[in-house]
Amino acid sequence: MTKHPFRLIALAAVAALGLSGAALAQGKYVHANNSGYDNLDPHAVFDVGRAASRINFYDGLYRWVDNPPKMIPWLAESHTVTEDGLSWTFKLRQGVKFHDGTEMTADDVVYSMERMLAMKKGPATLFMAIIDPGTTKAKDRHTVVFNLKEPSAVFHSTVPEILIVNSKLVKQNEKDGDWGQAWLSKNVASTGSYTLRRYDPAVGFVGARFKDHFAGWGAKSFDEIEFRTVLETNTRVLGLLKGDIHGTDGYLPQDQIARLRQASNVQIIEQESMRVFYFAVHNSRPPLNDVHLRRALSYAFDYDGFNNDLLKGAVSRNAGPVPNNLWGVPKDVKGYTYDLEKAKAELAKVKEPMRPIVIGTLAGFSETEQAATLLQNAARKIGIEIKVESAPWPVVQSRMQKEDQMYDMVPLWKSTYYVDPNNWIGEMYGMRYLPLRNNSYYRNPEVDKRLEQALKVTDQSTRDRLYQEAGRIVVDDAAGIFVYNTKWFGPYAANIGGIRFCPIGNAQDMRWAYFK
Amino acid sequence: MKTGWRQALSKFVRDRAALIGSVIILGLILCAIFAPYLAPFPDDVYEFHTSNRLRAPDGVHYFGTDRMGSDVLSRILFGARITIMIAVIAISITVAIGVPIGLIAGYYGKWPSDALMRVSDIFLAIPQVVLAIAIAQTLGPSIENVILALSATYWPFWARLVYAETRSVKNEIFIESAIALGAPPWRVMLLHVLPNIASAIIVRTSIGMGNTILTAAILGFLGLGAPPPAPEWGRMIAESREFLPEAWWYATAPGLAIFLVVMGFNLLGDGLRDILDPRIRRAASREE
Repeated sequence: MTKHPFRLIALAAVAALGLSGAALAQGKYVHANNSGYDNLDPHAVFDVGRAASRINFYDGLYRWVDNPPKMIPWLAESHTVTEDGLSWTFKLRQGVKFHDGTEMTADDVVYSMERMLAMKKGPATLFMAIIDPGTTKAKDRHTVVFNLKEPSAVFHSTVPEILIVNSKLVKQNEKDGDWGQAWLSKNVASTGSYTLRRYDPAVGFVGARFKDHFAGWGAKSFDEIEFRTVLETNTRVLGLLKGDIHGTDGYLPQDQIARLRQASNVQIIEQESMRVFYFAVHNSRPPLNDVHLRRALSYAFDYDGFNNDLLKGAVSRNAGPVPNNLWGVPKDVKGYTYDLEKAKAELAKVKEPMRPIVIGTLAGFSETEQAATLLQNAARKIGIEIKVESAPWPVVQSRMQKEDQMYDMVPLWKSTYYVDPNNWIGEMYGMRYLPLRNNSYYRNPEVDKRLEQALKVTDQSTRDRLYQEAGRIVVDDAAGIFVYNTKWFGPYAANIGGIRFCPIGNAQDMRWAYFK
Repeated sequence: MKTGWRQALSKFVRDRAALIGSVIILGLILCAIFAPYLAPFPDDVYEFHTSNRLRAPDGVHYFGTDRMGSDVLSRILFGARITIMIAVIAISITVAIGVPIGLIAGYYGKWPSDALMRVSDIFLAIPQVVLAIAIAQTLGPSIENVILALSATYWPFWARLVYAETRSVKNEIFIESAIALGAPPWRVMLLHVLPNIASAIIVRTSIGMGNTILTAAILGFLGLGAPPPAPEWGRMIAESREFLPEAWWYATAPGLAIFLVVMGFNLLGDGLRDILDPRIRRAASREE
């Protein structure tokens, strides 16, 4: 009898929680992300872990959708290119409103490009080598011209990454010529799908639907979206099972995917993807500058055990840097196998004095730690000592971008930013992308010559040949340890519809989705 | 003297809790020493068998296998070495710092006492775990740094204890007479004060061992302890989280190990207190 009141209270509490949960779910989509949103500036951030703020708050001139990726007109309606491939004229959509009600014009596009080039961060790496500051011109209110220094085969596919900020608003918030970086890291000034409602770098962000968005809205589109940082894999999975969150990243460990498949309130959307898992190796720092040590390490990774046992065969072996389901892959290159005898033979040829090798892994991405310990285990057998350190992704990334601070090795994914072999082999090993995208500090004139040429010619078969040749050299040089190409397993609440997966952005463009 | 020890021993044996505690500790020490012989798969500390991962406990793997396919029991047995090493070294350093500070401060009083005690108060003002995390994080993950972090944050507890004990003993007549007979301060402190407060230190040390093992496991869990692949218990639990609740054995086994060892030290500490410290007795012993 005495227990009765408690039971009532407990019941009431459960009912209240249930009700509030249901009320919240009316029009708000909650996503759990496995890395933090430390910066909202679209011209500072450029990676998959922080893609959601770029995609949902900002609009580009074009936009990527679907799989295989399709580019659709967005802020720009069309473009023309001059015969020499140097001058690109974009016709902008008219009557596009920023969140503050002012109209987006060609001046904003010019300012956005200049801002990227001046800040030299994230997305600037795509444009720095081909566009000089001050060369982008507004021809009239709705026409903008990009003048390239040299023809570029990939410029077209990077146009969606030209995200437009509200130039008047940003200029008002500039401090000491910082291009408004301090302000824009915590605020949003855009035409984008959602307006910023709440932001805390430690928690994540909440966006409210921008009703006047030029592209219009579906009848059931979410009123609000929340992207929350949840580093713990188990917490994300439990949140999904309990219905506290509606979606999370599509690259969960296969053990978790198997568990989610059994739940009736969760759906798993499977898609072919392009996301190569590899070890970025510091090719310039002794003793890793010795090709024999790199080859020894390449022979010391248990590819089969990792891909088929740990990841349960949900991925496929990728012998080189470019995903196998894309062109530009030398199909005859079989890559390295797990063979400690060959590893020992290579190790015997190493001339540099040996020292312990440090691998930096990504906290919250246990796969990177498992890959590191697997390599550590095999390397120990052939007499190479490996130390494993773990740090959050933003920390690892900023270390990777400095040659003296880069770890000896980092296991990570090279995701799709645009669909072209240059996204992988070009950025990973081309000298023009040092140090922001080429974190391997690989400097090989033979490879670079081919990568550079492939950027300038437009003939597809020539480019295919050049990327294949470069790929062969990179694999022979063991410039990285290439492990697999992945599939995407998007876990969402069963009542979510309209998830539009694209390898670029990994389905985080929420404007298409809705509650069924 | 002899009868005193014998009496203490018989009291100890009769105290079931203390006996269980000491049996557990003895077991831990034996496990650590004979880990290579006791472990069914001693190579599994470093060896992975990926095709054999996450196997439930059976006749071959008594505690199942982990995410890399290594035998969990073997790793736990080897983990006992790390645990003991961390606890013993950290506690030794702690005692070596805390006891002299407490002794000197308690014996001299006045400004040395104030200075030393204020410093330990500063340390005590911050929760030990938080301070240890801060230190271990700053220095980088390794066993040495865990030991350093634990010793640097735990000594004030000893300093405080010894200080209080010294203060109370100092006013006893036998101390006053020793001073009156012209004994130098170091002699009074080492030969007259220390033996009389030793029991309190021993009891504190036993309980402190348990606490240190727990804190070390917390640091390991947070990734600040021994780097992989060291079979550190806290780290093993951290690794296992992702596979709960399906692979229940993976977290349960190291969790049980930590629980047992900490309980063992606490029981032993309680038992020792009953025997060595007549002033503080548990209710159970009063019933005798």
